[in-house]
Amino acid sequence: MNKKFTNSAKVITHLGSLLNTTENYSDFRIILSNDNKPTATFNCHKAILACRSDYFAALFRSKMKEYQESSVEFTEISSPIMQKILSYIYTGSIEINVENAIEILVSAKKLFLDDELCDFLI
Amino acid sequence: MSRKMILRVPKFQEPKRMEKSEAQRLWLLLKDAIVEVQHMNASTLSFEELYRSSYSLVIAKRGDILYTGLEEVNNHHTKNLLDKIAQAVDERFLIELNSQWQQYKLQQIMIHDILMYLDRMYVKEPQLKVFDLGMFKWKQNVLIHSQINDRLVRMLLGLIHMERNGEVIDGALMKSLIQMYVDVSLKEKETYKQEFEERFLLATSHFYKSESNLFITNNSCGAYLKKVEIRLIEEEARIKQYLDESTGPKLIKACEDELIANHMQTMIEMETGCRTMIQNDRFNELKLMYRLFQRVENGLVHLKNEFAGYVRNEGHKIVNQPENLKDPNALITSLIEIRNRFEKTLSQSFANNRDFINSVNTAFESFLNENDKLSESLALFIDKKLRGGFKDSNDQEIDVIMNKVILLFRFLSDKDVFKKFYEHYLAKRLLSGRSFSEDLERTMISKFKQECGNQFTSKMEGMFTDMRLSKDALDGFKNYLQTSVEMGKLPKIDMSVRVLTQGFWPTFPPHSCTLPPLLSQYCDLFTKYYCHAHTGRRIIWQTNIGTAEVTFRLPKKTHVLALSTYQMLIMLLFNDAEKLSLKQMAAGTSISFMDIQRSVKPLYSGKYKVLKRTPAVEKSKELSENDIFELNLNLKCKLHRIKFAATSQTDSEPERQHTRQRVDEDRKIEIDAAIVRIMKSRKALIHNDLIVECTKQLSSRFVPQTSMIKKRIENLIEREYLERFPDDRRRYRYLA
Repeated sequence: MNKKFTNSAKVITHLGSLLNTTENYSDFRIILSNDNKPTATFNCHKAILACRSDYFAALFRSKMKEYQESSVEFTEISSPIMQKILSYIYTGSIEINVENAIEILVSAKKLFLDDELCDFLI
Repeated sequence: MSRKMILRVPKFQEPKRMEKSEAQRLWLLLKDAIVEVQHMNASTLSFEELYRSSYSLVIAKRGDILYTGLEEVNNHHTKNLLDKIAQAVDERFLIELNSQWQQYKLQQIMIHDILMYLDRMYVKEPQLKVFDLGMFKWKQNVLIHSQINDRLVRMLLGLIHMERNGEVIDGALMKSLIQMYVDVSLKEKETYKQEFEERFLLATSHFYKSESNLFITNNSCGAYLKKVEIRLIEEEARIKQYLDESTGPKLIKACEDELIANHMQTMIEMETGCRTMIQNDRFNELKLMYRLFQRVENGLVHLKNEFAGYVRNEGHKIVNQPENLKDPNALITSLIEIRNRFEKTLSQSFANNRDFINSVNTAFESFLNENDKLSESLALFIDKKLRGGFKDSNDQEIDVIMNKVILLFRFLSDKDVFKKFYEHYLAKRLLSGRSFSEDLERTMISKFKQECGNQFTSKMEGMFTDMRLSKDALDGFKNYLQTSVEMGKLPKIDMSVRVLTQGFWPTFPPHSCTLPPLLSQYCDLFTKYYCHAHTGRRIIWQTNIGTAEVTFRLPKKTHVLALSTYQMLIMLLFNDAEKLSLKQMAAGTSISFMDIQRSVKPLYSGKYKVLKRTPAVEKSKELSENDIFELNLNLKCKLHRIKFAATSQTDSEPERQHTRQRVDEDRKIEIDAAIVRIMKSRKALIHNDLIVECTKQLSSRFVPQTSMIKKRIENLIEREYLERFPDDRRRYRYLA
């Protein structure tokens, strides 16, 4: 008989750590900017972004400028929010409080993250 | 379960009202991008910018501008494409259409991606989704446009026609173009069905109608069947290669109708058709025919009826062939042969289909009972086998033959007639010591027992018991003789007696004769001995089935003659007379004239003649009472022991009649018993019901004639087992 062994917690930790290390095989950058000045850069992974967000899946599929340049520039998202969004994309958990709830909801809707998150926020 | 967080937030911020000009600006930006996409120049566009624009419009409740705009752009674009494609010359047409279509599909995916927020958040039924809108515009402005649709379908069908005629076509192109009809269908593939499938099926029927008509007139049925099978395989492949799978059953049905259903009658009747195949045991062709006919409604019924008809016809020929009527052995052998042959056809060609087997069995039942000789022939066939016919066969072969016998037996409706004949011949085998092997006899009987139960074989088994007990009785008698007082006075003869229990054995027609004094004395002694040992039993002597050995002294030589009891009696008369007429023989022995005739015949007309007729007359002449015989003292024979047949090998007509009569007697008893059994349980019954019930009960043994049942009812009424209701003469009541 087959016995099942699971260690999902460890996988989540490992995936989450991808966001914090510099040498992380990243193949895509998310750049935040304000008035055309870059404010922050996140090194990410296409495969993970595409499978967790329909927005990114469409972005890569369309093979437009962002795909050619391996980066996308967001002007409406602040760095702490992006950090939280990415951590949710990579690990599936997010900390929300009164101050950031709306901003997170707006981004989650735009990027088509899981419906469950949006339901939770509303 | 996660607990929902309660947030106290300031009232949800309304997005700022968007100015109309701003909305227009965003739409123009998107429109330019879409046009770029439609010209395959997308790689320099910023996805995020376009996405954000459509997102902003939707958030600002300006989705309508975007959606109607998109509709217009698609409209415009597809109209342009139409002109481009329609201009293509025939050779380029399909390729051009296909490449435009492939590009268009990719563009629509891209447009959908950019407008994803619109697609998910704005579009509501009955509006079409962004991608579907693209498909719809293509269908409306390109595919079903009069300049495209007919031309396209005609060319596609033309290519399929070419492929059916053996040319190679571009399968991938076909698949892509045909799939286009499916892709633009909004629900249930309606465009595909309406515009393509219907016409394709019609063309298919048309193609195969003319092909099959032509092919079947110019080729053999076997070749046609092979062609059909190949065609069906090709069409199956066509479905996989470039048709939508939903067309599969319809296409195959259309092919089957044209190729098989419409030609079934022809395939059966044509010169090289089903009939000839069955006649010549063309198992493979029949197998193919079976497989193909199986695919269409009622196909197998046709084939089955044809086969069963052939079986019945062949069987009918065999049972009515004059040679077979004379020779039971040949008859049964031929029957077993055709049975084997048809079993082979059933297993090799018809997958041992239950219906086929049943109809073959019904056919056997009908022709086997066509004439009433079969029961006897079958009994005679086994008789011959058990008299030594099995000598050269091994156990397995014997078993096979026995099983075939049982199989034929199973089809007999008058099993009781068979049983009587079987018992009759078994008795003869046992009494004349002609049975080849007791083991085989018992094996055969056990097979009947398995088939019909104990009752059927109890008498036969009784015969074997009698044979064993007779041997003991005879040994006892010999001991008795040695100690007996009377023995001293008598000359010694070697006498062998078989004691047959009445009831087990067939009753041989009663005959009487006068035994010579010495033999009579021995018989009396045996009677005395036996009745002493078994009190209460009575012995009746059946001299007509015995045998005897007699010493025949000629001037120069001495022979031993193996004779029947009657022949012995006749020969003994010549001890005291030189010449005897048949009349005198009859008088001297008290044997009936007919038996005298039959017994004398082998003695003067066989290979070795111990009697001669004086004066010599032509052999064939019938014997008359006054014919005179004398001993043939010039007999020339190298053998010491000469064996004479008691009578001819097969039974004489009177004997056969006798057996039949006994069957009728037994049937009366069986019918009586059945009627009484039924009436006893039902108390009262209408005439017709009684007949039906009675026939049903007896059917395993024989099929009673209605007239006979009627007579037995009358008889039972006379004997006061039953009575008619006074008010309803058709009803009977059981009288306890």
